[in-house]
Amino acid sequence: MRFSMIPELLKQLFKRPFTNLFPAKYAPSSPNKFMEAVKKGEVRINPPVETPPGFRGKITYDRDKCIGCQLCIKVCPTNAIEFIPEKKKIRIYVNRCTFCAQCNEICPVNALSMSNEFLLATTDRFSKELIVE
Amino acid sequence: MSLVETMEIVLWAILGTIGVAVFGIFVGLLYKGIDRKLVAHMQARYGPPIRQPFWDMVKLFVKETVVPEHATPWLFNLAPIIALAASIATLLYLPIGGFQPILSGEGDLILVLYLLIIPSLAMVIGGFASGSPYATVGAQREMVLMMSYEFPLAITIITIAWQLKNTFADHPFSLATIFSQPVWGTVGIVGLLGFILLLLVLLLVTPGEISKMPFDAPEAETEIAGGLLVEYSGRNLGLFYLADAVKTVVMGSLIVAIFFPYNLSTILGIGGIMAPVVDVVFYFIKLLLVILFAVSLVRVAVARLKIDQIVYTYWIPLTLMSLIGLLLIMFDSTSLFHISLGW
Amino acid sequence: MSKMSYSIPIGPIHPALKEPVMFEFEIEGERIVGVDFKVGHVHRGIEWIGTQKNPLQILPIAERICGICNISHPIAFCMATEEAAGIEVPERAQYIRTITAELERIHSHMLWAGVAAHEIGFDSVLYLTWRVREKVLDLIEYLTGNRITKAMFTVGGVRRDITEEQYPKIREALNYYKEMFNKLKHVFLDDKTVRMRSRNCGVLTKKEALELCAVGPTARASGVKKDVRVDHAYAAYGDLDIKTVTPDAVTGEAKGDVYDRIIVRLLEVAQSVDIIEQCIDNMPSGDLVTEPKPAKLLALLRKAVGEGVGRAEAPRGEVIHYVKLTGEEHPYTWKVRAPTYNNLMPWIPMLMGEQIADIPIVAASTDPCMSCTNRVTVVKKGRVDILDHEHLHKLSVEKTRRLMQ
Ligand code: SF4
Ligand code: SF4
Repeated sequence: MRFSMIPELLKQLFKRPFTNLFPAKYAPSSPNKFMEAVKKGEVRINPPVETPPGFRGKITYDRDKCIGCQLCIKVCPTNAIEFIPEKKKIRIYVNRCTFCAQCNEICPVNALSMSNEFLLATTDRFSKELIVE
Repeated sequence: MSLVETMEIVLWAILGTIGVAVFGIFVGLLYKGIDRKLVAHMQARYGPPIRQPFWDMVKLFVKETVVPEHATPWLFNLAPIIALAASIATLLYLPIGGFQPILSGEGDLILVLYLLIIPSLAMVIGGFASGSPYATVGAQREMVLMMSYEFPLAITIITIAWQLKNTFADHPFSLATIFSQPVWGTVGIVGLLGFILLLLVLLLVTPGEISKMPFDAPEAETEIAGGLLVEYSGRNLGLFYLADAVKTVVMGSLIVAIFFPYNLSTILGIGGIMAPVVDVVFYFIKLLLVILFAVSLVRVAVARLKIDQIVYTYWIPLTLMSLIGLLLIMFDSTSLFHISLGW
Repeated sequence: MSKMSYSIPIGPIHPALKEPVMFEFEIEGERIVGVDFKVGHVHRGIEWIGTQKNPLQILPIAERICGICNISHPIAFCMATEEAAGIEVPERAQYIRTITAELERIHSHMLWAGVAAHEIGFDSVLYLTWRVREKVLDLIEYLTGNRITKAMFTVGGVRRDITEEQYPKIREALNYYKEMFNKLKHVFLDDKTVRMRSRNCGVLTKKEALELCAVGPTARASGVKKDVRVDHAYAAYGDLDIKTVTPDAVTGEAKGDVYDRIIVRLLEVAQSVDIIEQCIDNMPSGDLVTEPKPAKLLALLRKAVGEGVGRAEAPRGEVIHYVKLTGEEHPYTWKVRAPTYNNLMPWIPMLMGEQIADIPIVAASTDPCMSCTNRVTVVKKGRVDILDHEHLHKLSVEKTRRLMQ
């Protein structure tokens, strides 16, 4: 009889678990209170695994560079980018963005880029953090 | 016996029962927490905190209890209560924490064997009463499972009783006898081997008895979505959960009582009030180790067996093992081969 | 147990199923005597969406046909569009495409191994394989910028380079997989309980596999030597040393049971590691894309007229994309055929005669991906029509008549 997993399991019992405990070891009883405490600096969150260079996270937009050519709108698969005609600028709804970075590539003046920020979950899809303009 | 004396006995029995129930539930849940933690570490996870089963319990008891439309309500609601009550009742006949059982002198090993069936039967009834095809399949599987493990279990228990009968003529099935007289001391080397085999059988019957991997076909989450328990929710599910926790303690205590009844206080010669404390702690460690080897280590290392494979496992290899154990012990007691170990 | 049969529904939502599909089983005791299934619960209208967008916009959508095969679909779409527009892909881009496709295969097969282990209740193996999978996900993130959706491709090439500086990390991950391969092989092929659950379970004979047009590991496990990478080499596969994997390499014969499907997938992980190594060793220099300016590329595609077919070997089997460009902004047609579509019918011979307990593992053994498969559901006045063969034939005849007028 062979039970192939037993040696591995016993070995693992004395090793450190693999899980990265992000954001806390155990689920806090109230996530909202936990986040408030984090903001106040009372508790520290366990950091997430670091992102590599070239990571595609939340989009950043350089307003001053933008010339309003609307090319980015043409390649965006999800219509996440809206054109504001009066100002000749764009507005990006991150809640629709798929992080494909095609808009970055097509922009003739490099006004758009991807940051490494990825903790974007909120309860309001139109919150300030999720609209880039 | 005067009325007062009777009253006193009854009172003690009631208090003892409540104590045992609280103890059984507490230890059962605590064990579940430790089990989940250990298993998580073996799987390279951190797992939930040890107090998690207690929170789960609280949560289940405050949640709504849904009775499905096609169920038979009274049976459906009664089954979890019977399961828990029977599990606790079994505990009353078993020596816990180095003390004599609450109902010592009343029942014996055979009674415990019967009582052990009741929670499973209650689950079967609850499953059939759910009126769900998954629960029905689960209930059928539970019945087959019961029939499978009873066989090696019965052989094991009878062998032990037979051996004890050879040594002390009266009350071979009484748990008090077994408890006061470790089985290991009654045999020679060959018999010792036999008892080790029987211990193994009993350890392997345990996961079947409490429907744990690899014998959890009646509940099989990925196959029949929880089987017997699929329709249960809220308080009813909580009661089954408790019954399961208590039953784990029962099986652990049974093995401890038969095979490891030693008390640390007698071995170390500790007297006075410290003795019970030491014994309880020692008992708890023994229980934990037994459950660890019978449940936790088994359940992480195997895949779930199909019901026909379960029947095969219990009826062929395990029954053979217990029969060999029986033969070895019989062989041993014929004085010709009895090589005394001088225990 | 009585011989009376009863029926059990499994799905659309059930713990055994990772995606919605509806099974109806006729059961006698524990044995399955009748199987029927219905798909169509996760139809998303992706092809229609595609015809409202330009090819560059379609790419990220093609990636999302399947979260796991997010290279196979774009690669097939790119090939179809390139064929339609007559665009050549530089050699270096072909190699990079091959590397990402094989990374995807590793991660998909590891994922499957975990799911399969979970289906038979072996959760420790689930945690082990998914832990091992983490390494390739990290590598994918390092190479492409995200763990799952890679967004690597564009029509006519790739969008990111794989440079010399990145080789050490790739090699490290490949060596890790070489090490883990033996361990995983030991766990999956030698373990008593895994063997008990997977050997002779869910058998698909070679004949049935051929008749029902099974694809991918499902077909190969039954001994059908069928692999787009070999039979119809695309990307850089033509330059590489690659053979179709069948289980007889390990066991001597292909039985077509779940155990054989495990073997095929395990061997394919090793094969993928080997392919990536070959690609790195022989990486040619050159351009990444034919047309580096996306704006110009769009203009080019707008003018293109033609049609093209792209075939790729996804981890689950052959993916086919068909694209027709008519000189407009948006493609006229975009048709997708995902591998699970072919692997649905083999479920019936596999499941017949097995036990209830086998349903999850057998259903999972083809690595089904329902949302990739669901294409057409006709809902008229609230009624859902299933179009059968005859009906579809009638519709096509009608359409041909219309076109001929
Ligand atoms: S990254 Fe992609 S999805 Fe997001 S705004 Fe740019 S083009 Fe649109
Ligand atoms: S492509 Fe660049 S310049 Fe043009 S509108 Fe978008 S952000 Fe502005």
